[in-house]
Amino acid sequence: MSRIACALVVASFSAVSVTFAQPVSNGSVNPPLSPRNASYSIDARLDPGTRTITGSEVIAWRNITTRAVTELQFHLYWNAWRDLRSTWLREATLAGNKYNRRPDEWARTDVTSISLLAPPRAPVDLSAKVRFISPDDGNADDRTVMALSLPDQVPPGGTATIAVKWTAHVPRTFARTGAIGRFFFVAQWFPKLGVLQDEGWNCHQFHAGTEFFSDYGVYDVTLTVPKGWIVGATGVERERRDNADNTTTHRYYQEDVHDFSWTTSADYVERTARFEHPTLPAVDMRLLLQPEHASQEGRHFDATRHTLSSYGEWFGAYPYGHITIVDPAYQSDADGMEYPTLITAGTRWLVAPRVLTPESVTIHEAGHQWWYGMVGSNEFEDAWMDEGFNTFSTARVEGVAFSPNYLALRYFGGFIPYTFRDVVLSRELDRNRMGLYRTMPKSDVQSAPSYTYFPSRIARNAITYAKTALWLNTLERHLGWPTLQKTMTAYFSRWKFRHPKPQDFFEVAGETAQRDLTWFFDQTYRSSNVFDYGVQDLKSADDNGMFHTSVIVRRYGEAIFPIDVRVTFANGEKVDQRWNGGDRWKLFTYDRPSRAVSAQVDPDRVLLLDVNSTNNSKTLTPRGAQAATKWSLKWMVWLQDLLLSWATLA
Amino acid sequence: MNAPAALLDGIRRVNRAPAIWLSMWALTVAVSLPLAAAMRDLLKADLGSSLAADSAAEGVNYDWMQEFTADATGIRATFTPAVIGFGAVISNLSAALDRERQPIVIAGAAAMYVAAWVFLTGGIIDRYARDRSTRAHGFFSASGVFFLRFLRLVVLMALAYGGLFGYMHPWLFDSVYPDLTREMTVERSAFAIRVVCYLGFGALLAACNIVFDYAKVRAVVEDRRSMIGALLAAIRFIRRNFRAAAGLYLVDVLLFAIVLALYAVVAPGAGRAGWSMWLAFAIGQGYVLARLWVKLVFWASETALFQGRLAHAGYVASPKPVWPESPMADAIGR
Repeated sequence: MSRIACALVVASFSAVSVTFAQPVSNGSVNPPLSPRNASYSIDARLDPGTRTITGSEVIAWRNITTRAVTELQFHLYWNAWRDLRSTWLREATLAGNKYNRRPDEWARTDVTSISLLAPPRAPVDLSAKVRFISPDDGNADDRTVMALSLPDQVPPGGTATIAVKWTAHVPRTFARTGAIGRFFFVAQWFPKLGVLQDEGWNCHQFHAGTEFFSDYGVYDVTLTVPKGWIVGATGVERERRDNADNTTTHRYYQEDVHDFSWTTSADYVERTARFEHPTLPAVDMRLLLQPEHASQEGRHFDATRHTLSSYGEWFGAYPYGHITIVDPAYQSDADGMEYPTLITAGTRWLVAPRVLTPESVTIHEAGHQWWYGMVGSNEFEDAWMDEGFNTFSTARVEGVAFSPNYLALRYFGGFIPYTFRDVVLSRELDRNRMGLYRTMPKSDVQSAPSYTYFPSRIARNAITYAKTALWLNTLERHLGWPTLQKTMTAYFSRWKFRHPKPQDFFEVAGETAQRDLTWFFDQTYRSSNVFDYGVQDLKSADDNGMFHTSVIVRRYGEAIFPIDVRVTFANGEKVDQRWNGGDRWKLFTYDRPSRAVSAQVDPDRVLLLDVNSTNNSKTLTPRGAQAATKWSLKWMVWLQDLLLSWATLA
Repeated sequence: MNAPAALLDGIRRVNRAPAIWLSMWALTVAVSLPLAAAMRDLLKADLGSSLAADSAAEGVNYDWMQEFTADATGIRATFTPAVIGFGAVISNLSAALDRERQPIVIAGAAAMYVAAWVFLTGGIIDRYARDRSTRAHGFFSASGVFFLRFLRLVVLMALAYGGLFGYMHPWLFDSVYPDLTREMTVERSAFAIRVVCYLGFGALLAACNIVFDYAKVRAVVEDRRSMIGALLAAIRFIRRNFRAAAGLYLVDVLLFAIVLALYAVVAPGAGRAGWSMWLAFAIGQGYVLARLWVKLVFWASETALFQGRLAHAGYVASPKPVWPESPMADAIGR
């Protein structure tokens, strides 16, 4: 973007960075967009001194399945950080993480009472009817799923109203939830129902490698925090009152969401702006910044605006009318997370221009409003459906709105960024995280339940984020963006405010592409095989005035994809031939008046999942030696500098 | 003699002995060239006759670079974008201050390089102390005379630097710094503490460095055989001439910073293959020469300061070293 364009963007934000008299939304959505079958009225008080939350909630649940139930199942996520015996911490430890926490830095949720409300009858105390279950791994020490036996069954269409009281200890952050200093980010914090499906309860234990899944509803939440502390939360603040005990009570309200999270801090700097678009609904943007990042206000708003605009145009409109962007405190580990109508971004004190910090994370988390927020796929079982779709979509926005952008590495304890202006990052490979995928492409079969993936961050993200983004971008190149956009728009439209499964997306893709794509998803989704095509040999010999050219292309990987083979001749002629890619190798021959110059498999790089692109081509006029000399000279200067650093001590 | 005068004198002494400067550059090239050749072979083998080489030759093929280093170990793993331009300096400086480990091949080469410096230190300081030509035989004779003494000093240096990097650094950066910043929610405050830690660690490094430098200077100028004695004498000298010695060291550090700043301005980027890559390499060698010059100015100016404060310039206690006749010559003479 030119300086003038940058100035215009800044000027436009300056113009709108004011408090609007009339907010776009008050949290109500009319008509309802979701079944609203799990609604919560919560009243919670935070004691920052003891880092304790005392809460009570009333859950209004409706059975929207075809089966009757006599049991409810609840997530108590914070019990995952109660001790090292939980499934979450066992998995995280298996992945190599270490947790040396002080006693007051662990978390817990203790349900103090639970009762069934059925006015006009008196509440029925069911506290004795709860038990902890471990449906995934049988870990008797895990207390993240609580089952409650009901006195009567709830038939299809029936309802149950449950009152719960609990206390919780806010940890030093685990999984982006916790506190440091006067900063609190409170997520997955209340006893929350699982999802009842026709097959039964879908209420997984909390796992180190996966996130969440819940039904849509209405959240009406009252939060009491120290007076003067700024609060950000899912929804819109409807009331605020100061209390005699030097606290303030905030009431937030939101319809058609499946979660509620909030943050409070004495240190936030608050900014507001409005997103306006010719064809999309306006959105009030509220930004809670750390004071040391105040100068990055425009970058956060700009990233959010581009997300609302691009996702809105590509997939469907954002319906809530407001979004809160939270810039978490340094070392809070709360950055880069999505919650309905509220996201945590994440930036650094020193940032470089044309390097996508904070843009990338802001776009990604704002984009989750579509892939997670509105399309409510199961993050326990199919994490790739939100993270992968969103990585692909994020990269697309970055490509459209923030190109070129450059590689920056951070030095001196990670504080100082250094931008390599020669390294322009590509949307297709770098932003879709090819480097990550290449490290562990066979870590897990994508179709396995996500919570069973190997729990290391790299392994999980390689399959969940990177592989999905790469195969979606491969589909885009294979089918064309108009077709893929139609697919994603149809998928979004059909499954928003519902719980799609992988097959639902595959069916939409087949319908909109008007072709059977089973073979593609067999290779990518149902297999951990890798793609690797290459040119094994290229020869071009003069044969009485005609040049006989032979090209052997080979499938080095196990996965199969139809690819083009292109041979370029010295006279400029290019010949493309399609190979179904099935056999291990194939010979192509040509008789032309001109010598061949080069041969390439997949010359347009349609197959972005190919883990080795260097072997995709051969030329008869190679420049490998030239390139090697150039780079080894650079490397030599680097080495000399390193030697001189050591010699300082000589 | 004060610090600026010692600096100017040191610069003059280094400039009057360009052979030493160029020889140390040749040494740097000699140690780095075989590894660079090995790296070239690796790169060439990886690129083969691929068209990926075209974009790698014309600029940066980041995809290929990542493929090249995926799951790599040894020197192969060091081929990252950090080798481009001034990034190399930043990356190495950061690696040194943050005590990042290098592959064994690189560490081995660096150890050889340091050993060569230790061998040549006696000759270099002797030349600057005399401030007149000692010729090659005089230079290497002095190098040989002081090599074993400096090997003993190296044991003391290894203890000091080993203590700093092996114990002080982990204590400071893995224990004190995390403890001090654990509850911090403001990055710039944490950064300020890290800078203080860097400065503290840097000051200790500099203190060791300056003591060992003057120990070498005193060993050569006064023909000391006891390295412990030289070390104690160096400490006495620094204590009695603290302002001048510390001031000179700071001015030398400033000179180093100026060289880095200049290279930051002129450091070439990825560039293209062909003549421009040789130009870029030449600029890189200019930077290497400049850094070597600064390192030599450190020693020459410290020698000048010592001689200016305690003796007359050019004084050395030992007679001018003469390369001994061979036993065969002795036999003929008899």
